[in-house]
Amino acid sequence: MSHAQQDTHILSLDRVTVTLGQRTFGPFSFVIQPGERIAVLGPSGAGKSTLLKLLARELVPLSGQAIFCQQPLKDWALPDLSRRRAILPQSHEVAFGLPVDLVIGLGRVARMHDPSLASIVRQAAEQACAAHLLGRRFDTLSGGEKARVQMARVFAQLWDVEQGLLLVDEPLAALDPGLQFSLMEAIYTFAANRGHAILAILHDINQALQGFERLIFIKHGAMVGDYHTPHVTLPLLEALYNVNLAAAVTEDGEMIVAPSLKRKAVA
Amino acid sequence: MSTSIGAISLTSRLTTGLLNRPVWFLWLVLLLCFWVAAWAGAVPVTADDWRVLWRQDEPLTSGAYVLWHLRLPRTLFAALVGAALGLSGALTQGLFRNPLADPGLLGVTSGAACAAALTIVVLAGSGMDIPVAWRFWILPLAAFAGAVGVCLLLDTVARWLTADSIAGLLLTGIALNALAAAIIGLCTYLATDEQLRSLTFWTLGSLAGGSWPLVAVLSLLLLTAIWYVWRLVGAMNALALGEAAAAHVGIHVRHLRRRVIILVALLCGFSVAWCGVIGFIGLVAPHIVRLIVGPDQRRLVPLAMLVGAIILLVADTTARIVAIPAEIPVGIFTALLGAPFFLALLTSVRKSG
Repeated sequence: MSHAQQDTHILSLDRVTVTLGQRTFGPFSFVIQPGERIAVLGPSGAGKSTLLKLLARELVPLSGQAIFCQQPLKDWALPDLSRRRAILPQSHEVAFGLPVDLVIGLGRVARMHDPSLASIVRQAAEQACAAHLLGRRFDTLSGGEKARVQMARVFAQLWDVEQGLLLVDEPLAALDPGLQFSLMEAIYTFAANRGHAILAILHDINQALQGFERLIFIKHGAMVGDYHTPHVTLPLLEALYNVNLAAAVTEDGEMIVAPSLKRKAVA
Repeated sequence: MSTSIGAISLTSRLTTGLLNRPVWFLWLVLLLCFWVAAWAGAVPVTADDWRVLWRQDEPLTSGAYVLWHLRLPRTLFAALVGAALGLSGALTQGLFRNPLADPGLLGVTSGAACAAALTIVVLAGSGMDIPVAWRFWILPLAAFAGAVGVCLLLDTVARWLTADSIAGLLLTGIALNALAAAIIGLCTYLATDEQLRSLTFWTLGSLAGGSWPLVAVLSLLLLTAIWYVWRLVGAMNALALGEAAAAHVGIHVRHLRRRVIILVALLCGFSVAWCGVIGFIGLVAPHIVRLIVGPDQRRLVPLAMLVGAIILLVADTTARIVAIPAEIPVGIFTALLGAPFFLALLTSVRKSG
């Protein structure tokens, strides 16, 4: 049983450490299964983006082992890797004002022969609520529209594969709540239909609690917790952010958390 | 298998790239420029001279001689050099993700000229006896080395000083330009009268050296470059996403950078070695093309070559006929024609945008 489970891993980190500048981050140890939705939470500067860079192979582990689909992450050829995992970046800028269609199609640029490119670009744009932006220049779009196009590019990248990995780096923080909601829904649907796992860096605790089944806590450059969402309690979150939180429960039984102005006595 | 797939997508890209209307129009303009350039000049050419060229049995008339030995190779050479400069400009802009990047502004051209100047003065001054056959290659090699050196410096220094900053890149280019200018100045100071003449040639640029062997060598170089670039243009589009994102979609950014840098250095180095410094084409040609067909590298790169060829051919022909029988260095003309045209383009973009 445990062996069979091991074979289905999308990604596993085993005591991986990494250096960035003068700092060492880690050790990180966790396993990502197909279709999982994992949110990474932690205060600013804790090392969330570093973890993402490590998973995106922008940084090479100092020690430990990172295995992606039964093969060490560092041994993957970039074009092959790009067919199994995609990254939705935090910044959306693209040089030269490329047309939107081309930007979305760039998700699939590593494929030598791609006859269905045009139809996948269109479908990916539809799924990312960006179909109306096709034909426009990227640099004329608003922030929210750019986010949608980048999302469509990532969708196109993983459109015709299954059990891939989608890394998301807080791409929606600057958008209005309604748009954030519909774009997160689009990501969930896209990933669920294909068995892709999602690992997202989030600042919004409520988004994490409501949309993700597993939460990884990062603090002071190290992993301090890995919980199934129902097991996450208010004190755990308070300890993570060093802040007092107040919680309310909606009619549907969902917990909503907000920083509390009331000072609690420090134990 | 993968090569045959590559060949299919290559040919389909070639045909889609060549069969669009702006391309036909530009080819027509280029042919027209060839026509004018071949007829115009200090020595008048008649239809009879053209006819004589095709006949083996008749002796060459003086017009036919000029046509065959001077004017035709020079026109072709001008077009080829223009294409090489347009290509290197398009590649530089794509590589640095910046429409202001240009081999001239970044110091690549002057780096090549600097190495050439050093070769002329130092090597000749050292009294070494160099066989004539080698001379043909020593300057291009030196210029190429100078161009590569500047490219590598740009790539490392600018990146190290100011990561991902356009200003840092251009400032590094300015510094390198100043350095190259100082070294060229020093060479000028040390040069003998004869060396001084060759040095002036480098700094002003001239296509007077155009000959059939040069046309053949440059055609080969350009064909190789085109064959090579076709495999890179798709990946170069991905560079517009930024280097990290380009790697995420499966592009080996470091390999791509290295290849493009070597290509740019080759194109700049050889054109500087044979024609001196001809500015502005690398900047203007891709700009014009971007206004016509947009920024997709797959269309930009071939059209930038075409437009570069047209610009240099027009400039060279003008330089030849404007002060007959004297000839004005073409580098002066590309700047004279290019700068106002560029300003006009900018204002028209501003109005329409």
